[in-house]
Order: sequence, then structure tokens, then C-alpha cells
Amino acid sequence: MTSATFESAVQATLQREVQVRLRRYLKLAIYGAIAVAALWYAAVQIKLSFGALISGVPFMWDFITRLFPPDFSYLSVLGNATIETIQIAIWGTLLAILLSIPLSFLGARNTTPHIIVFHLTRLLLNSLRAINELVFALIFVSAVGLGPFAGVLAVALHATGMLAKFCAEEIEGVDKGQVEAQMAAGATRMQVILFGVTPQIIPQFIGYAIYRLDVSIRSATVLGFVGAGGLGFSLIQTMKLFKYHQTATCIFVIFLLVLVSDWICGKLRRKVI
Amino acid sequence: MDQPMLMPNTTKTKTILSVQDLTKSYGGAIHALRGINVDVHEGEFLVILGPSGAGKSTLLRCLNRLVEPTSGKILHNGEEITGKRVNLRALRQEFGMVFQQFNLVKRLSVLTNVLTGRLGYRSTWRSLFYNFSKEDKKIAIESLARVNMEHKAFQRADTLSGGEQQRVAIARALAQQPTIILADEPVASLDPKIARQVLNYLKQVTHELGITVICNLHQVEYTREFAERIVGMSRGKVVFEGTAEDLTDEILHRIYYKDPDEEEKNGK
Repeated sequence: MTSATFESAVQATLQREVQVRLRRYLKLAIYGAIAVAALWYAAVQIKLSFGALISGVPFMWDFITRLFPPDFSYLSVLGNATIETIQIAIWGTLLAILLSIPLSFLGARNTTPHIIVFHLTRLLLNSLRAINELVFALIFVSAVGLGPFAGVLAVALHATGMLAKFCAEEIEGVDKGQVEAQMAAGATRMQVILFGVTPQIIPQFIGYAIYRLDVSIRSATVLGFVGAGGLGFSLIQTMKLFKYHQTATCIFVIFLLVLVSDWICGKLRRKVI
Repeated sequence: MDQPMLMPNTTKTKTILSVQDLTKSYGGAIHALRGINVDVHEGEFLVILGPSGAGKSTLLRCLNRLVEPTSGKILHNGEEITGKRVNLRALRQEFGMVFQQFNLVKRLSVLTNVLTGRLGYRSTWRSLFYNFSKEDKKIAIESLARVNMEHKAFQRADTLSGGEQQRVAIARALAQQPTIILADEPVASLDPKIARQVLNYLKQVTHELGITVICNLHQVEYTREFAERIVGMSRGKVVFEGTAEDLTDEILHRIYYKDPDEEEKNGK
């Protein structure tokens, strides 16, 4: 390149850089304006108001002071409920893991036996995720009766929807080269899944399953609201009876439980990944 | 009366880097470098030739302190750049680097990738919003134009072919306005035609700008074609220093097949 053409090429590119940047700013301004307008409208609709928050502070303070001091003698009553909460979470997550293994392979484009199976699986997973655990719990309470088993099923189904979708997406993102090598060796579909796909997704799957256990413990603490076992039953009951000192104990136990589960799950996850 | 003799121009042979007794071991057991002594002359295109695992990459990375050497010294223009008191950021401004796998950030545009070569000169808070000064942009675009890639400046880096990506990577190193470019197997994943093209760009542009190049290669052919001087490495030791003419079959055998420890025992 001669120095004259070099200079003109540099100048032309510098000018284009300005154009490209202006176009990007314009785009940003348009989308930004739309987003701000939509958020503003939503804020008005849902009556977002700092004023109400500020004026609500004395009432919140009133409620909090009623909680104190917590009635620690109530702890002896909560022991069983706490263990039940953990049991619901563990069984719910375990069932979800078992269910999501086949579902995630059926719901991944590259391992599904047929595109129709893929779409049906994704539809199923979407509906599982769409329905909140509390709604599931209500359904199962009427089906299998009041108690922790309804809670286990509720946790299991919702967690399956989450876990299988996550895992299916991991499967779709595996390195194709490793899969191709085994197809080239004449491996069957199932063999490719076993030897090419599974080793690539196992760390992420285990990591996410542990995370799900953590989430399940949190949701199991409120399933009792609708009679599906665990700490939530005591929480709602003491509130309804205005025994706020006992409510405080429930909240304290739930807080401890979540803290401990977060700590244990975090340790497990670091160990596996 | 005799005219005083003009002194010959000595800038050609000025030593820009001096590596002295450099060693690097990992965990005490694996010795990647075992007492390297090399001088690099200002402005030269030095090729470090050797098989995989000879320690070429480790040596290169010791020079800009991406790897901490275990013992030994490196002098840059006579100043020691090993040890804890060295300002790494200032040091690394001087060394541009080109990698085997190009190491462009795939989701960023070609121009932004080249602009990352300017990061060593900018404070963190000034680059927070991806904004660069006009001056930096001019330097980056000029660097791109030197490797004839300015026409792709606004594409995403992963839309380019391998050869084009490596040219952009060279531009990124140039944007640093370095005095030395370290090239670690820059053409190992390119086909022969593209490889020659990339090496041509590297050699020509650095020659124009007076930048010293230290280039790791494992291919003898390219070394003969492009090296102004050659350092042969085998199992963490320097086993040869010379030019392409000195690179005989016997020497190649020494670099690629012989165990330098065996030789030492037999020779002494």
C-alpha cells in the first residue's frame, strides 16, 4: 500500500466509525425510549409509589415489634416440621432428577427421536414451569390428601420442569466434534448419547441439581400454607391465631434452614464443579 | 591528513533483551526451562525453533511475565524486568503478543478487538463504557490498515477466516505501539498459503515500524524462509544459535531428536 492510499483508507474508516457509532446511539436512544415508556406505564398501573412505602414504615415497625421476643419454647414443636421440610425437599428433588434425565434428552433437538417428541416435551416442561409449586400443592392436596406427600409431588413436578429444560439446553450446546467422532465410529444413537453427550453435561447437571435442592428447601418452607406439610403450616397457623411470638420462631427457623442449606449446597457445588 | 573513520552503525546489533540463566519449573518436578541464555537484537526477526514441549511458549511468556520464571534474569534495554518491583502494566505495553489460536474476543467487532490493544494505556474507569479516544481509534484503524483489514473493521470477529483473524490479532499487537512483538506459533493452525501470507505481514509491517519480533515456530520450512536469526530449543535448553544457512540436517536432528542431556554427558 502506498502512503497516499494508506492515509485515505484510514481516513475513510475513521469516518465510517463515526457513522457506525451514531447509528448505534440512535438505535440505543429509540429502544431506550420505548423501554422507559413501557416501564413508566407499568409503574403507574401497579401503583409503584415510594410515598406509600415511606408512610407504611410505622405499620411495618409495629408488626416487627409484635414479633419480639420470639417464643423459643415453641422450638420443640417445630422440630418435626423442620425435618419434614427437609425430607420434602430431598424427595422432591430426587424425583425431579429421575424424571428430568429422560425428559431432557427427549427435549433437546440433537438427541430427540423425533421433532414432534421434542415439541411435546418442551410443551410439557413449559407447563410444569408455568405452574407455581403452591398451585401444584393445592391440586395434590385435593388428590392425595393433606400432608407432606402432596408437597413432595408439588416440588418434584415444578423442579422437573426447571431441571429438564436447563439440562436440555446444555445438551443442545455440547461440542459437536466429540459427538461426530463417535458417529464416525458407527455408534448407535443411544451409544452417542452415553459416550459423547453425557460426559459433557454431567458437571452442569449435578451443579444445577444441587442448586435445585437449595431452591426446593426454600419452597418447601411455604407449602404448608395450603396444607402440604412442613414449616409453612405452623407459620400460617400461628399468624392466624395472632401468636406472633411463635411466628417469629418459625421465621427464625426458616432463616436458619435456608442459611444452612445455602452453605451446604455451596460447598457441594464447589466440590463437584 | 586522514579523515577520522566513521564508526559503523551499531544500532543493528544493539541488544534489546538479554535472557540470563532463566529457569522455570512447575511444582519442582517438571522443568520447562533449564538455564536459558539468549540475546535478542533490536529490530531483528528472531525465530525460536523447536518441537512441541521444548519450552518455547514458556520462554515467550516469561518475557512479558505471563509466566513467572523460577530463577534467572531478563534485561530489557539493560534494565532488569524480572523480580517483584517491576511495573507489569508498563512492561506489558512494550510487548505485543500474537497467539496460536488468535485469541480474539469473538463477540466483539474487529475494531473493538484492535482497540483492546490500547487498554494498557487507559485507566479502568475510562474504558468502563467501551469508549476510546479519537487518538486511540486512529491508531487502531492505522494498525488494521497495515495488515489490509480496515475494510472489515465493523464486523464481528468470529465472521472472519482464520488467516484474517490472525491479521487482526497482529493489528491488535501493533495498536499497542510495542517495541517487541512475541508471536507464539502464530501460524500453527493455518494452511501453508495463508500461513506464509500471515508471516509476510508480520515480518514486513514490523520491519517498517522497527519492531523486534520473537516468533516461536515448529516448522523448519517457515523458519528458513522468514528467520533473520534462529535459536533452536530442545527440552528446555538452547541447543543452537545461528542463521538459516547454519541450519544443517545435523543441527535439525539435534533440535528435534536428540536428548540434550545425553549429549552433555557424552561431550564432557
